[in-house]
Amino acid sequence: MNSKSQMVCIWGGFGFAAVCLMGFILAGFIPPMSPSLSAREIAAIYSENTLSMRFAVLLIMTSAGFICFFVAGIASQLQRIEGGTGPYTMAQISAGSLTALIFVFAAVFYTQAAFRPDRAPEFIRIMNDLGWTTMLMTFAPFIFQNFAIALCILSDQNETPIFPRWVGYYNFWVAVSFIPGGMLTFFKTGPFAWDGLFVWWVPFTMFFGWYVLMFFIVRKAALTGVPGTT
Amino acid sequence: MTLNSRITYIWIVLILATFLSWQFGHGFGFGEDYRSATTAILVITFIKIRFVFLDFMELRAAPLPLRLAFETWGIGMCAILVGLYWTGA
Amino acid sequence: MRESTLKPQAAEPHLPGETGVWMFIIGDVVIFSLFFGVFIYYRAADVALYAASQLTLNQVLGAFNTVLLLSSSWFVALAVHAARHARARLSARLLVAAAGCGIGFVIVKYFEWSEKIGAGYTLVTNDFFMYYFLLTGIHLLHVLIGIGVLSFLWSVIVKGDTSENTIVVLESGASFWHLVDILWIALFALLYLMR
Repeated sequence: MNSKSQMVCIWGGFGFAAVCLMGFILAGFIPPMSPSLSAREIAAIYSENTLSMRFAVLLIMTSAGFICFFVAGIASQLQRIEGGTGPYTMAQISAGSLTALIFVFAAVFYTQAAFRPDRAPEFIRIMNDLGWTTMLMTFAPFIFQNFAIALCILSDQNETPIFPRWVGYYNFWVAVSFIPGGMLTFFKTGPFAWDGLFVWWVPFTMFFGWYVLMFFIVRKAALTGVPGTT
Repeated sequence: MTLNSRITYIWIVLILATFLSWQFGHGFGFGEDYRSATTAILVITFIKIRFVFLDFMELRAAPLPLRLAFETWGIGMCAILVGLYWTGA
Repeated sequence: MRESTLKPQAAEPHLPGETGVWMFIIGDVVIFSLFFGVFIYYRAADVALYAASQLTLNQVLGAFNTVLLLSSSWFVALAVHAARHARARLSARLLVAAAGCGIGFVIVKYFEWSEKIGAGYTLVTNDFFMYYFLLTGIHLLHVLIGIGVLSFLWSVIVKGDTSENTIVVLESGASFWHLVDILWIALFALLYLMR
């Protein structure tokens, strides 16, 4: 296996975190708009910032591509554990790819919220709702990506493990912190609404923290690996 | 089996503490002074948690920094919860 | 059975289980600390509503579940000690008892929730019930995972192997189960008892 191509893929993790965060900041998503805002208020946000919203969403859309590279970078290391493309490697690839799709779809919905500012506010709000729901309620793919990585790392039978075992438990922890995300469907205010502590702030921190930390962890695993062993 | 019997004593104490704090919630010991009762309930809760940490999870014999981390968490968490409780009481 | 030299307790410090498990435990404790803090913060802002809603909870079932989990933890702690003394069969039986208590907890929770939902209380009724259902729900998820972990531990120890590796696996799983117990002890006080 070519170590240079591995590095290109692994840097995708860093690329995603950087580009996506820029998009979030430009869109004014930190902190997010409240789900309890009226249609008129939501429409006002999009009509006052139409251009910056469109650019921001373009960045978020772009960032989705980087996820695919990072998923491949992780997969290359998991392959070393499984001695080939085993079940956990494949599970990680499919769950990771779905995570990328989440950002693609969310970006499409946000774009439509900003596409025709003269639309009736109700339509703008429904697009905005779709964007946030796609972005934050979709906990399952990311959690199962964590599970695949964790189970793979903990099943490592190599003489010298590819990853330290705590990385496996770390992935379990990240997965647990994402569980409340699904609760946004029930609430418009409070800590379980999409702008709340347990649906936005905790998963947001854990998600980007995961990309940064996993970038360094996977990079180290790739660097210590002997090229061409797989 | 002195260690086994220690674990068993701890278990009995934990069960008794559960019933004691349950009764505090019904006016036992504190009468109508429900704020003191709640404070007692929270303190007993974290004492129970401390014993599960120390004896069931064996932190008593664990490296000191880890034990201290959990001890600090227990005291800090209990203080925060009691403090926040009194802001609304 | 006497205290043997195998006992690490008296001698040098001994971390039960894998280091990684403790990272997970600390992480989980952090998340639940946020749950506890947020709950009591919002409770302080609307004491009357929380107190009135709390009165509808079934304290007997809550206390019974506390006893179940405490006993379950006790069985697990005994199972670890039995395994250290090379008594694999006893250890396996204690794990079955522990898992049995865990399953009992789930059954009690089922009846408790059905009673609430039947009476028209759901997680959108008010803020108290939001926390009640979500916190006990996320905890229940821990219990279900924990029962899976206990079953796994049983499958390991039932083979009769009490080598050091097995003990580490046993300690790791046991630590997670005790964590589930600890989180419930706190939830019981916050949701059912405090006034």
